[in-house]
Amino acid sequence: MKLSLKAALLAAVMFGTGAQAMETVVWWDFLGGGDGVRMKKLIEDFNAEHKDAIEIQATTLDWGVPFYSKVQTSAAVGEGPDMMTYHASRIPLAVSESTLTEITADDMATMGLSADSFAPATWDAVQVDGKQYAVPFDTHPIVLYYNKDLLEKSGLIGADGLPAGLTGLDNFNAALAKLKADGNEWSIAQVTADGNFAFRTVYSLLCQQDGSIGKDGDWFPGDSTDKLATAIGVISDWVKQGYNPPKTDYPSTVALFTSGKVPFMINGVWEVPTMDDLNKQGKLFNWGAIEIPALFNHPCTYSDSHSFAIPNNVDKPATPEKHAAVLEVIKWMEAHSLFWATAGHIPANKAVTESAEYKAMQPQATYAPLTANGVFDPKSVLAGVASPLFDAAGNAITPAMNGELDPVAAATQMRDELNGM
Amino acid sequence: MLRNRRTEIITALVFIAPFLAIYLWLFIWPTAQMIELSFQKAPLIGTGKWVGFDNYIRMFKDATFRIAVKNTAYFVLLTVVPGTVVALAIALMVSRLRGRLQSLILAAFFLPYVLPVTVVYVIWDWMTNVQFGMVQGLITLIAGEPVNIWRTVDWFMPGVAVLTIWWTNGFSILLFLAGLRNIPAELYEAAQLDGATRRQMFFRITFPLLWPVTVLCLTIQLILQLKIFDQVYLFAQGGQTRATMVLVQYIYEQAFQKNAGGYSATIALALFVIVLVFSLLQFQVLRVRRPE
Repeated sequence: MKLSLKAALLAAVMFGTGAQAMETVVWWDFLGGGDGVRMKKLIEDFNAEHKDAIEIQATTLDWGVPFYSKVQTSAAVGEGPDMMTYHASRIPLAVSESTLTEITADDMATMGLSADSFAPATWDAVQVDGKQYAVPFDTHPIVLYYNKDLLEKSGLIGADGLPAGLTGLDNFNAALAKLKADGNEWSIAQVTADGNFAFRTVYSLLCQQDGSIGKDGDWFPGDSTDKLATAIGVISDWVKQGYNPPKTDYPSTVALFTSGKVPFMINGVWEVPTMDDLNKQGKLFNWGAIEIPALFNHPCTYSDSHSFAIPNNVDKPATPEKHAAVLEVIKWMEAHSLFWATAGHIPANKAVTESAEYKAMQPQATYAPLTANGVFDPKSVLAGVASPLFDAAGNAITPAMNGELDPVAAATQMRDELNGM
Repeated sequence: MLRNRRTEIITALVFIAPFLAIYLWLFIWPTAQMIELSFQKAPLIGTGKWVGFDNYIRMFKDATFRIAVKNTAYFVLLTVVPGTVVALAIALMVSRLRGRLQSLILAAFFLPYVLPVTVVYVIWDWMTNVQFGMVQGLITLIAGEPVNIWRTVDWFMPGVAVLTIWWTNGFSILLFLAGLRNIPAELYEAAQLDGATRRQMFFRITFPLLWPVTVLCLTIQLILQLKIFDQVYLFAQGGQTRATMVLVQYIYEQAFQKNAGGYSATIALALFVIVLVFSLLQFQVLRVRRPE
């Protein structure tokens, strides 16, 4: 009896060591929406292709502060994942907390990638003090969605089939007035309940005026505060004129647009799958999405980037085999990011966006060139999604958009709140 | 029988040792560490630098801290007594029902208590949605136009208070019902014989005998509502978070969003003292009103 037990144990141990030839990669992400479904498909495909060699064990966690708190605290005690998705805008804070492992030039060479693989602004977004801390996977800017049927009725579709006559603030507002006069309940749906979310639009308009967001201790320097006020004023004017519904939250803007009550919507590219799915079910009008038009001096759109990062698991550094497996995962994902583009995001890898397959994807291929005009968060521990910068925007811009606070007072309040941190 | 006092003490110590060890290790020790942390400029994780009373001086000068204290106090005012009164009223009505109907109605009032806060948030967020919400008809009657409750500072706290009472009332109702069932029926019979009105019966019999339960409800509610966080955090996301800030939310923001472990420990200690002081005051009320 005892002997057979020993034999069983021995077999179990041997089997265990045999199975260790397969590397597991523990993966955390925050992709809970339509893009999360697509990421799961990519992970399944990867696992199928690497059967018996590498297996990704993926967990999806809550987006925003909860995700980053968990990563920070678990990495500090060596219990973090092997790799994770990360917003480029959050990297400076993570580096200050020593949460991330540097991605070396050797790592990049192993993956067959280099600075030339990405748009300059996207590449710059993953660097802190000359060191690289993540590999960009996509850029996800905001875009202008349009209802082609309603725009055609108001004569706003050009010969090329795209919206026309929207360049310059006066022209854009004239188009909104025309749409309102033609019987639309509202002309444009920009989130007005969350100054936090609306900051993406405000920051784009600030950049279009060549205004600067500044840096720690010197936010919105010089006349940039006035330009910030002008940018906020654009939205508060839309609300005042009755073009944009007041105090409207994110889900409502999507519902207003998809139900045909609003011809324009400013929102993230990640809503593309929502439209695609409705369209396939025959429940949506003709629609499209374009780069936010240049309302001021030149086109410029706020972007962030989903990237892949490796946590700095204290006292538990990855084995060389594990590290190689992680690099293989990133390399594979970068090469297969065409499918990721169906989630609306613009693949960061230029080899993918320059392919014929991508150029045939609509409306992705129409708005993709905007990556050349992208502006990212400043390199500050206070910046990034769900950061104090965005909270300050929530406090100042929310009342300003809805006529409860003067845009100039809001801009000053936002600057002072950030400078006081 | 001869007793050896020393042996008895040792036996007692052996029995309470496991509890004492866990209590010291998991409660007292972290509390001591938190107090130590409140005197440091420290990140959330890792070692800090000793800064004396800097965090405390900063706290008393901090306008956001004052807003958080004010909002927390306002919320306690809006929920503790009103919530208990509503629970008592519902319990009195439910206790008049009998059999299946009583269970059914009680279940209806208790159901929200079972829901996690995230579900409560989603339900109320859509019910009060300014474009599509079904409650907006009622709000239009009161305010004259649809109001986005969660983005209008004056409406925010009363809104959260109403949904909190709706959400957590089931528990207080249960406590009151149990209290009501403990009052002997003979007392009411005797009062009826003496010609007491229903009003007199409530104020002379029901209310005094329910007083210990009422105090219990008030104390539980007070401690719970001083620690308000989830609802305010969820509904304020993206909006004017500073204007509607409450204390635990401010602790969370400093610790997890700004990585200021030292300062957040200072605010946490302030909340600890506030809860302690109010609980002691409530205990005094309880002693004063204890029947002779």
